[in-house]
Amino acid sequence: MRPKTKRRIVNSVRYIFTILILVVFLFPAYWITITAFKPSSEWNAWPPHFWPYHPTLSNFFGGSSVSSIEGILPFLRNSLVVSTAVAVIAAVIALLAAYSIARFKTGGMGLAGWIISMRMLPPVTIVIPLYVIYAKVNLLNTWTGLILIYLVPAIALGVWILITFINQIPKELDEAAKIDGASNLQTFTHIILPLSLSGFAAVMVLTFIQTWSEFLLATILTSNSAAQTLPVYLGRFITGYNIAWGALSAAGLITMLPVIIFGIIFQRYLIRGLTFGAVKY
Amino acid sequence: MGKYRVLLLVISMIAVMTFAALAVTTISVVVSPDNGPSIQYLAQQFMQQNPDIKVDVTIISWETLYPRLLADLTSKTGVYDAFTWDVMTAGAMHSGCLDLTQYFKDHPDVIPSGYDMNDLLPLAYKLGTWNGDLIGLPYYNNTMLFYYRKDLFNNPTYQQQFYQMFGRPLRVPTTWAEAVDVARFFTQAYNPKSPTRYGIALMFPTTHTMFYMFPLFFGPYRTSTDGIREFGPVNFDYGTYFTSDGKPAFANQYGLMALEDMKALMPYAPDPLGSDYGQTIEYFAQGMVAMCPQWTNPYLQFASSPALQPASEKIGIAPMPGVSVAGNWALGVNKYISPEKQAAAVKFILFCTTKESGMAVLKQFAIAPVRESILDSPEAQAAIPWVAALPSIYQTEAFRPRIPQEPQLESITDVYFSKMLSGTIPMTIQSLQSLADQWNKVLAGGQ
Amino acid sequence: MSKSSRKIAILFILPVIIFYLVMAIYPFVSMVYESFTNLNLTIPHSGQFIGLSNYFAIFQDPLALSSIDFSAMVIYIAVPVEMILGLVFAYLIRGLKGEKIFRTLFLIPMMIPGIVFGIAAQMIFNYLFGAANYFLSFLGIQPVAWLGQAATAQFVIIFLDVLQWTPFVFLIIYAGLLSVPQDLIDAAKVDGANGWQAFLHVEFPTLKPLIYVALIIRIIDALKIFGKIYMTTWGGPGTATSSWSFYIYKVGVSYGWDIGYASALAVILLIVSTILVNILIRFLNLGEQLGISKEA
Repeated sequence: MRPKTKRRIVNSVRYIFTILILVVFLFPAYWITITAFKPSSEWNAWPPHFWPYHPTLSNFFGGSSVSSIEGILPFLRNSLVVSTAVAVIAAVIALLAAYSIARFKTGGMGLAGWIISMRMLPPVTIVIPLYVIYAKVNLLNTWTGLILIYLVPAIALGVWILITFINQIPKELDEAAKIDGASNLQTFTHIILPLSLSGFAAVMVLTFIQTWSEFLLATILTSNSAAQTLPVYLGRFITGYNIAWGALSAAGLITMLPVIIFGIIFQRYLIRGLTFGAVKY
Repeated sequence: MGKYRVLLLVISMIAVMTFAALAVTTISVVVSPDNGPSIQYLAQQFMQQNPDIKVDVTIISWETLYPRLLADLTSKTGVYDAFTWDVMTAGAMHSGCLDLTQYFKDHPDVIPSGYDMNDLLPLAYKLGTWNGDLIGLPYYNNTMLFYYRKDLFNNPTYQQQFYQMFGRPLRVPTTWAEAVDVARFFTQAYNPKSPTRYGIALMFPTTHTMFYMFPLFFGPYRTSTDGIREFGPVNFDYGTYFTSDGKPAFANQYGLMALEDMKALMPYAPDPLGSDYGQTIEYFAQGMVAMCPQWTNPYLQFASSPALQPASEKIGIAPMPGVSVAGNWALGVNKYISPEKQAAAVKFILFCTTKESGMAVLKQFAIAPVRESILDSPEAQAAIPWVAALPSIYQTEAFRPRIPQEPQLESITDVYFSKMLSGTIPMTIQSLQSLADQWNKVLAGGQ
Repeated sequence: MSKSSRKIAILFILPVIIFYLVMAIYPFVSMVYESFTNLNLTIPHSGQFIGLSNYFAIFQDPLALSSIDFSAMVIYIAVPVEMILGLVFAYLIRGLKGEKIFRTLFLIPMMIPGIVFGIAAQMIFNYLFGAANYFLSFLGIQPVAWLGQAATAQFVIIFLDVLQWTPFVFLIIYAGLLSVPQDLIDAAKVDGANGWQAFLHVEFPTLKPLIYVALIIRIIDALKIFGKIYMTTWGGPGTATSSWSFYIYKVGVSYGWDIGYASALAVILLIVSTILVNILIRFLNLGEQLGISKEA
């Protein structure tokens, strides 16, 4: 067999497998998306409808509070506010700490390890004492309360990622700046900050995605539309007597769409962040 | 001087507006999805009549509502002002609920004229009390009904086929033993001529649903003459699961027989261990099954399903073959909120439980009435077919425990029953006994 | 270190330290304390000190013990599958025309909240109406009660976890592959190495640290699995799909806030994940990788 023919066959097989795998992996998202546009008669049709035969927007607008998602806006707002705030604050605090650790070895590995271990903390272990504390200091059902707790894993991840990014900035640059008479603070703002911006962005993207999806803490620490996030809004339907699959899927779509779009747009930072700057993509 | 007058006017207007804005009391009401649409409707009506009170209704699923409420009440955070609570959580909830008896005594003018306390059904009223305190006004007198396909049961062809197969006439089962044959008859895998794929839709998932499904089967044994002789009458706080003196009453042949009755029906039900409300309602609504034990308000979903038209000919409603189980909801007010909010919240829950409101939510949302006068009214009976059947069903209902430890008992029990029904652990009296041991541990721990 | 350096070093690290002292240490201490009490929100005046009773109770609690099984299962089935599939897919699409589009599409599941997967699964794996049973019917297979049997319910949860997290592993490995200098591979090929040998001697050494990072993060995160279970099986049937985290939630929150006992369960989980984190730090030689340990 000629090598060219062989390669063509191999590539065709690769395409087939790639597409098959993608179909399986994207099927749940696809199902949520189409169900969001199906009228109630198609939710449980047999055989299942693989696209909406009679597309409708009734799952989004009109109808009661459980048959459409008209009331979703405050929850979308809460999700946006909390996730954005966490992303920004975490990136700032983490950058400062990472600079301190990477350049001055503050606290050594002990401190760095301790901070990184916060990324691993299972949320279910702290949620109960946290509830009791939040009740005392009036942080239940507030954006602040959610932001504070989401910062715990976010900052940890941020420090971890940013240390590696700062390490990649040649020390000679710092030293050259110092020789030119720059203070430590000036070195930070003129050299480290601009050169670690992509790491900064990577931290924001990753923590945004991570925060957006969080369910367990949000469901316990919030109580109504003043602070509840989208996953909590979704969770309300779990054993409802009347599961409106269309509305539920519409809510699911609203919950996943912003974060997917965001992630795709900032893909390059996502990749750099997850590989800890090892890959300059 | 005109300028100043205008300025003064503007300032005073702003002041009045600010004052008015500040004077609006907002109450936060949290409800389960079953009650959600009806309470939201009532909130709209209420706000039209009371512009000074804003009602903010949050719907939270059963699984989350209860622990959130409990945490709010016991840690005295005052997040929710008014709420629907499942009456079986009375013991756990009562410490944070406002005692309405006392409140009405202190504020007699809060009760609107024409609000008839005595019209409330005694049973529903009693379920809203704990230790003699009224901690919730009855709102939704929910109970389990036996829905069946009237057209199939009345069909001469099926009646004849059934007679040929079982030697007795086809009729709506009155015992679970009888239900097994009927369910088999309507399951295609066992009877290719069956018009439905499955005989009965059952929900035995590992959620709180399991905990109220068991009493449907255990109730008949527990309240039989023998059961009463052995365990005493059903105590209202401990419920059907317990003896009258508060000991587990299921770790014996009666409990085993109830589980066996459940198991006997499972082959004729679509995925019973993996289905909850949502699924079973859908199975019946789509015409996939001939029978379905279900709560009162899914009736509306059945009646609007294209597969069940005309509803009056296709949807039959009968008392449960065993006994029904109470699923009442009450409306309570938080003890730990400001007096202004309490006043507004009490006003709201009173509004929700008037005769007019009860009639409206019955017709629009199939909320089973808590008032005798509604049950008796021909208007209500004409609106929803089960209304006329309810009084007799209420008389034999089973009850879940209302003691404070109920949630823990429930959580353990769901898992054990699910394991026994799925065959992970043997279905024996010993297994039931080890469940009872777990119960005793919980009961002893909670002093 | 100069005085001004030290000042800035301390000033910059301070926010993190203060933040963690407030947000992590206090809850941690109160959790450990509560694990020695019988605090329970449904029971008034509970909260007495009961020593190690909660810890002993874990060993006699069949529900807790069976929750270990499923957590372990997620780790030893889902995580290896994710690692292998991630690796396979990275190689599968590398160099294909349209690589970037495939990669972007493949990243999507990673960004979908677990709870949304749960809803999709409820529909897809429904017994009578679900697409899964529809596909099986083409193969002549009878409908499967996916969520009503222990083995299939476990399969569903693990399947969802694989769908969600394979892209994460894929991304790390794929990006790692990009960073292997092509001339190294070419040089190896000139020396007569075949594709497999090139992988073993050139690419794998570069990928190794990244694979470890992915593996250990996945193991630790697998211990947190919650949302999918919450939305689909509620830990059932029985305890078939009840993970340790889910069981803590059930005891601690969902059914009556048995805080003392739940705290004891949580302390155990915390110990396990701390051990894993320490392995991570040692194994990866994290100190060296971050350029801290040697010079500190």
